Amino acid sequence: MRTRRLAPLALLAVGSLALAACSSGGSGDGGGGGGGEALDSLSIMAPYLSATPPEADDKVGTELSKIAGLDLDMQWVPNAEYGDRTNVVLAGDDIPDVMVIQQKSQGFVQTAEAGGFWDLTDYLASGDYPNLVTENPDVQQASSVNGKVFGVYRARDVVRTSITIRKDWLKNLGLDEPTNTDELMKVAKAFTEDDPDGNGKDDTYGMIIPAWGASIGTGSPYDAIETWFGAGNVWKDEGGKLVPSFTTPEWKQALDYEKELIQSGYVNKDYATMDGTTGWNEPFVNGKGGIIIDVQSRASQLAELFKEQDPKTYDQKVALVGNIAGPNGDFALPTPGYSGFLAIPKASVQTEDQLKQVLTALDKLSSKDAQILENNGIEGDNFTVDGDHAVFDKSKQDFTDVVSGSWAQIGTNVGGFEAYKPKPETEYDAELEKERADLQAKDLKKAVFNPGAALVSKTYMSNGVQLDQVIADARIQYISGQIDESGLDAAIAQWKSSGGDAVTAEMNELYGQLG
Amino acid sequence: MTAVVDVEQAGAPAPAAPPVAPRPRRRWARVVRFRWLLVMLLPGILYFLLFRIWPMWGAQIAFKNYVPFLGIQGSEWVGWEHFAEFFSNPDFPRLLGNTLILAALSLFVAFPLTIVLALLLNEVRLSVLKRTVQTLVYIPHFLSWTVVVSLTALLFAIGTGPLSSFLDGLTGTETNYLADPDWFRPLILLQTIWKSTGWGTIIFLAALASVDQEQYEAAVIDGAGRWQRTWHITLPAIRPTIIVMLILQTGEILNTGFEQIYLMSNALNRTVADVFDTYVYFTGIQQGAYSYSTAVGLSKAIVGLVLIFGTNWLAKRFNQQGIF
Repeated sequence: MRTRRLAPLALLAVGSLALAACSSGGSGDGGGGGGGEALDSLSIMAPYLSATPPEADDKVGTELSKIAGLDLDMQWVPNAEYGDRTNVVLAGDDIPDVMVIQQKSQGFVQTAEAGGFWDLTDYLASGDYPNLVTENPDVQQASSVNGKVFGVYRARDVVRTSITIRKDWLKNLGLDEPTNTDELMKVAKAFTEDDPDGNGKDDTYGMIIPAWGASIGTGSPYDAIETWFGAGNVWKDEGGKLVPSFTTPEWKQALDYEKELIQSGYVNKDYATMDGTTGWNEPFVNGKGGIIIDVQSRASQLAELFKEQDPKTYDQKVALVGNIAGPNGDFALPTPGYSGFLAIPKASVQTEDQLKQVLTALDKLSSKDAQILENNGIEGDNFTVDGDHAVFDKSKQDFTDVVSGSWAQIGTNVGGFEAYKPKPETEYDAELEKERADLQAKDLKKAVFNPGAALVSKTYMSNGVQLDQVIADARIQYISGQIDESGLDAAIAQWKSSGGDAVTAEMNELYGQLG
Repeated sequence: MTAVVDVEQAGAPAPAAPPVAPRPRRRWARVVRFRWLLVMLLPGILYFLLFRIWPMWGAQIAFKNYVPFLGIQGSEWVGWEHFAEFFSNPDFPRLLGNTLILAALSLFVAFPLTIVLALLLNEVRLSVLKRTVQTLVYIPHFLSWTVVVSLTALLFAIGTGPLSSFLDGLTGTETNYLADPDWFRPLILLQTIWKSTGWGTIIFLAALASVDQEQYEAAVIDGAGRWQRTWHITLPAIRPTIIVMLILQTGEILNTGFEQIYLMSNALNRTVADVFDTYVYFTGIQQGAYSYSTAVGLSKAIVGLVLIFGTNWLAKRFNQQGIF
């Protein structure tokens, strides 16, 4: 009687299916504040960039829970899939008390405008939460949705864009660091044609550009060059009117420059397909390419890699150049000054009392002690303090990586960064650190901010991303030679006719209101 | 599947079936008699109820401006707006074209190759060789698309990949095969063939095994060569299987492998790479345009339904058995 013995198994299978359905369909409440009563824990959804997320009984988590006065119930999501997960979580039942929102996507903005997130504008301005009062109101404004602040932004350096260049190659060829785009072209040419590594072989090229998955206005090397040419930053204010940067003549001029770089062979040939996660550093360190336009911290990463190769000469390899002048002026591309924000969904935090409880906890999580835990770790365990700097214990590097790759993600630091900076290991590291600070101060003066950062147009929300993709694809097709200028114009015309004109009109209307 | 394969021999009653239509009491008796089989059927039914039928309730958000916070009931009803927006979008003809071309390639190139490979394997006399080859051609099926795409990226890397260097040597120009729109479809087809042809032969080999050997013997006596035997005996014998597989393939026609295409697409080949599935992912999951992407997905499903009914109807027209 084989079937007789199999039957219970079949039933078991049915049962587990039904159970699975219950657990996924049931409304598991995020933080335990289903009704109006006070919260007894705080669930936070955040991305992690470290190899693994913190353990459930992580020491930093325990300490932070003590500071916050609420048990932190962390929901870590790998950074690469964070955007996807945000949209899925927003559409589900199990919504946490606090969510890191990385971008103002349609899913987020629609939910916020329907009242799905607490409007924090007045609460943050009240001063009841001193650590959540911004030191930089412009950035807070930029993080808002048409002036309504739906989250505590996560502060980032405003100036990060920089050219990083092979110092020894410049020296070999007797060249100076480029100060404008023409000189950059000359350096790229020399790096490609004049055998900068002196090995007698034609095996080098100028600039390294990886495949850029994101759309326009996302801090890509192309975006940086366009800003240097004076095309603005996503939007450009021309006589009080906002125009999309890609409709300016400067933008086209910049594209011709980019096209020249690529068509002359001064850029790696696989610029459209090279994997950016590993591909950017490798050719630089292995002596294939010599120019990178990315963030300043790229230079420190590269120096670190050179140090592994040869600790004696590594201080002669990397030069930090910052933003350079273009033919139409001297401009720098800044970051938005923040990287997403911590928003509070109404689905889980239902009453004002609960909201105040959450804000109080977030306030404490932005205090100096909390910032040190989030960014440095546990003092006396994985680091010690030397003056203003943290000295990390090399044997506990794994733990330090988890701290800086995960816990730092819930830090907002809107009132200023108060944790310890890592102590430079060598003189050169200190020098690089100082050069970075100097460039930040210098480039900040010429930074071109996006005048439309805070504005969210209705049409843009419904199909702006597809619209932007039209331009991003046309840009790379143009510089690769796949389409000519008429093709580029056709793409811009398509952008305009399929919603872009409406976006521009709406943005200008909002721009007028918020002035 | 065997039931379907055996359609030609239909008419021979299944052993358990009573010869006349059962009266109610007899029917109940059958239920009792086969109760354990029915119990074993339950997981399958539940699966379809939970994961196929129940989610259709949510498909209504295609007709609403769905905002999760307001819930499905609370969201504003907008009717066909999202469909109108999609069909008037310049993306639509491009997506439809790309999807259909990729589907046609897999249907008219990759699918026949499966049959050819099955026939070739069937002709191999040495059973050790046959089994070894079979195992080898099955292996790619078990690799994930991520692995296949990574292999492709290595083989076709500009300037350094062995295959791209070889092709460059033939043509005399250096091409970035991975980014060139003209190479996107050939590469996709190549990957599909490499990965799935071997696995696809299984069903055909099973059908081939059931071909009556006496027919071959008779044909040999009549002086038929190998080609003639294949053409006049083997192919007609597996024709019903081919038709059924063709209809099933048509049902899948619009499900162009999302993973494969997503991983293979980049800024330069997106004009030919975007298909319905990548578009739904891009707008729905990445951008949170829930209603719009549901409308797109629903449109796709309807086109797929029309295609499968159409093929089935055609199969019946040409005097073959359909599947329903």
